[in-house]
Amino acid sequence: MSAEFETVIGLEVHCQLRTRTKLFSAADVSYGDAPNHHVTAVCLALPGALPVLNDAAVELAARAALVTHCKLHGLSVFARKNYFYPDLPKGYQISQYEEPLATGGWLEIDTPAGGARRIGITRIHMEEDAGKSLHEAGDPETQIDLNRAGVPLVEIVSEPDLRSPEEAGAYLRKLRQLLRWVEASDADMEKGQLRCDANVSLRPRGETRLGTRTEIKNLNSFRFVEAAIRAEVARQAEVLGGGGRIQQATLGFEPERGRLFVMRLKENADDYRYFPDPDLIPLRLSEERIEHIRAALPELPDERERRFSGELGLAAADARTLVASRALADWFESAARAHGNAKHVANWVLRDVLAALKERDAELEAVRLAPEGFAALLRLVDAGRVTARSARSLLGELLFAGGDPEALVRERGLEAVSDAGALEAAVEEVLAANAKAVASFAAGDAKSLNFLMGQVMRRTGGKADPARVRELLAERLARR
Amino acid sequence: MSEPLETVGELAARLAAGATSARALVERSFERLDALDPALHAFLFTRREAALAEADASDARRARGERRSPLDGIPVALKDNIVQAGEPASCASRILAGYVSPFDATVVARLRAAGAVIVGRTNLDEFAMGSSTENSCAGPTRNPWDPSRSPGGSSGGSAAAVAAGIVPAAFGSDTGGSIRQPAALCGVVGMKPTYGRVSRFGLIAFASSLDQIGPFARTAADCALLLEAIAGHDPHDSTSLPEPAPDFSRALTGDVSGLTLGVLREADDQSGMTPGVHARVSEAVAELERAGAKVREVSLPHTRFGIAAYYLIATAEASSNLARYDGVRYGRRAADGAGGITALYERTRAEGFGAEVKRRILLGTYVLSAGYYDAYYRKAQQVRTLLRRDFDAAFEACDAIVLPTTPEAAFRLGEKSSDPLALYLADVFTVSANLAGLPGVSIPCGLDAGLPVGFQILGRPLEDATVLRIADAYQRRTEHHLARPPR
Repeated sequence: MSAEFETVIGLEVHCQLRTRTKLFSAADVSYGDAPNHHVTAVCLALPGALPVLNDAAVELAARAALVTHCKLHGLSVFARKNYFYPDLPKGYQISQYEEPLATGGWLEIDTPAGGARRIGITRIHMEEDAGKSLHEAGDPETQIDLNRAGVPLVEIVSEPDLRSPEEAGAYLRKLRQLLRWVEASDADMEKGQLRCDANVSLRPRGETRLGTRTEIKNLNSFRFVEAAIRAEVARQAEVLGGGGRIQQATLGFEPERGRLFVMRLKENADDYRYFPDPDLIPLRLSEERIEHIRAALPELPDERERRFSGELGLAAADARTLVASRALADWFESAARAHGNAKHVANWVLRDVLAALKERDAELEAVRLAPEGFAALLRLVDAGRVTARSARSLLGELLFAGGDPEALVRERGLEAVSDAGALEAAVEEVLAANAKAVASFAAGDAKSLNFLMGQVMRRTGGKADPARVRELLAERLARR
Repeated sequence: MSEPLETVGELAARLAAGATSARALVERSFERLDALDPALHAFLFTRREAALAEADASDARRARGERRSPLDGIPVALKDNIVQAGEPASCASRILAGYVSPFDATVVARLRAAGAVIVGRTNLDEFAMGSSTENSCAGPTRNPWDPSRSPGGSSGGSAAAVAAGIVPAAFGSDTGGSIRQPAALCGVVGMKPTYGRVSRFGLIAFASSLDQIGPFARTAADCALLLEAIAGHDPHDSTSLPEPAPDFSRALTGDVSGLTLGVLREADDQSGMTPGVHARVSEAVAELERAGAKVREVSLPHTRFGIAAYYLIATAEASSNLARYDGVRYGRRAADGAGGITALYERTRAEGFGAEVKRRILLGTYVLSAGYYDAYYRKAQQVRTLLRRDFDAAFEACDAIVLPTTPEAAFRLGEKSSDPLALYLADVFTVSANLAGLPGVSIPCGLDAGLPVGFQILGRPLEDATVLRIADAYQRRTEHHLARPPR
């Protein structure tokens, strides 16, 4: 992008709170079920139905506010956002407007340049989700699914502090990490639990006023967020560079073609006629309750990371990787405690466990092996009772099925050949059967030793300790 | 035709004494309904078979020596905006034609638990918007005292049904006077409890911050029994008050000595009251004074902004509350045609709503619009706060405020339908109680040219019992509530 402009980005993130039931009704929150199976009179906006606030959602929203350093307000007010749409049963969405749950927070991101930067958070408010309009190919009718109608969300609005698509991505990842960390949300973008609108504008470098912005709606993957912003920055730079002006607009993004399209121009801005919802009383959070929620928060990722590098002596990058999710950090730390050598365990987790997860495209939540079991497996390796290679070959199975590593090693006959007699016999057999290699070793070809080692390992089914095999071979060859 | 049904108290005593049966009462109720309602048109729907079955169940309970409450076996009627499972709920609107509620309002669940027998659903102004019951898609209800006149509204059907002796008690809703005004015009007692005292769950909303369900009966003592059955906290309504409902009947001591009643200073009264209404209400105040109450003037300077504030807040809330009637999920949907979903909304709502409802939705939409919100809605809320403070100050000096319910007795059908503003202004005495959330009751206090006149008693929030105690003391000393419509 052109050097004469600075990019200014603000994100509005909608995040589904991790409750069992909806924000204002007792209907279950579900995903992927048959349409309209999780609806009550409230979800359908039947005459006479009234909303009742789900207190569990308040708790989770409060966690989201605290973890992003927001001021959590003792009084906030639910308001109606009025508009007609078939998937909005009441003809209004219950949200918060003039008096949101929380304001004035921040979170810290790593910048691509290598530093860290604070990104301001303007506000966090609670609101309910709308239903879904379904269009089947070839069917002129619209079908409505209200399973999602009334699902609790928080909207988290950032300040226009982000300066590049990569920073926007880093902000979103950090936000997701934090929300998942405190179990406020599962924040699964594929399930629509985390959705993002991006406000994008450019301004000449050195200018402090904001340029005219456009809003890109409904970005539902990290990749699309960055790609869409990149495309919009390029478009705006071209318009401005050519002396043109940016028209305020709401845009959509077609990920397949990497293209933006205009949803509507802002001249006919919507008037949502917000007013306080008279069916709900103001939401009050006492100081005691706020402190109680704060006190119940787990150790946060930044602190955890500092502890991993400080207390456990891990490299900074390794510590950072291990706090990618609370589940991973907890699992690692339990395994490290059970084993005793944190660095050793970290190496195995970072190399082998993460690779196994990646291979399956799984998260740590899918792991069935207890961290103590993992530590036990490493101890078998340490004691030379199983080779690292055998341990690695069992890891995938153990991780996702669980079980007792020692029993599995025995069951598969993978105990290392540590019986000196058996190993010596194997070495003798190999030397006897490979006279040519023995001769070329004697003639000074060091590579022949590797060949002979491979033969011994094959004969022992890979269960021999390679170091011991090398030792024995060297000893016998020297004697000849 | 059988005689008008007696009071709830009398009927409960006769049931307890074995002098009558719930079945006999329900049969009498339907006999009168069959004879009178074709002309009166108080009812939109009846449930004869179900009511008789419920009466039999009540009689069976009594035979076993069980009684769920004083209401067990008593026939009652519901305004057609209070939903009952398996029954239609039309709100007298075309847009809800054919709609049947799958659930009970909390009030209905409590009445059923108390053993009351619901005989039918009464007429109203569409979505409770009006003061004459003429804004009903099914046509107006007539006043039992003079069929050429309106019973008032919006709960005109319930008021007329009690006045005509078809039921001893009925329930309505009061947003700006919709219980008290028809009670006054039909010569019965009507009560709007403290806001939040009775659950709104299952009441089809007109203006949520003002709506309150309440009873109609012939006596304040009956209203106490009815309120006991329906009042109290409800977890399904966030605006329902947590305080437990007291024993209202026990508060009816007949004694008002030691109580101070406030009357409005003449300067605060800009009502255009007729001489007849003025005279009857003055006589009622004098009667309470004779009963031992002290009377003093109080001032409510902001009541003159009450009507304006009320019509801003009520229409704003209504414009949003009625957005759900879009023909997508239930109720009446206009025929498919060109123009997609927006056109379908427009046709559905144009065909489904009546003129007054449309007028109020338009007003309310305007009031909430960007650029007008501060000038109208926010300003109206500020007036509401000032009005509450007026009442707080007045209740420092008195225990209850006595004032007329309406400026005049029942008007002729059609007389005001061409001038909606004149009808809005007639709510001058009733809207303040809704804006301030106060309990208020309207009591018959005599006739003006053969038509009933009512006066109102307003109390402090949650002092529903005090209001009923004063009303009951008045009725013990007078016979105006015994007057029946001619023939």
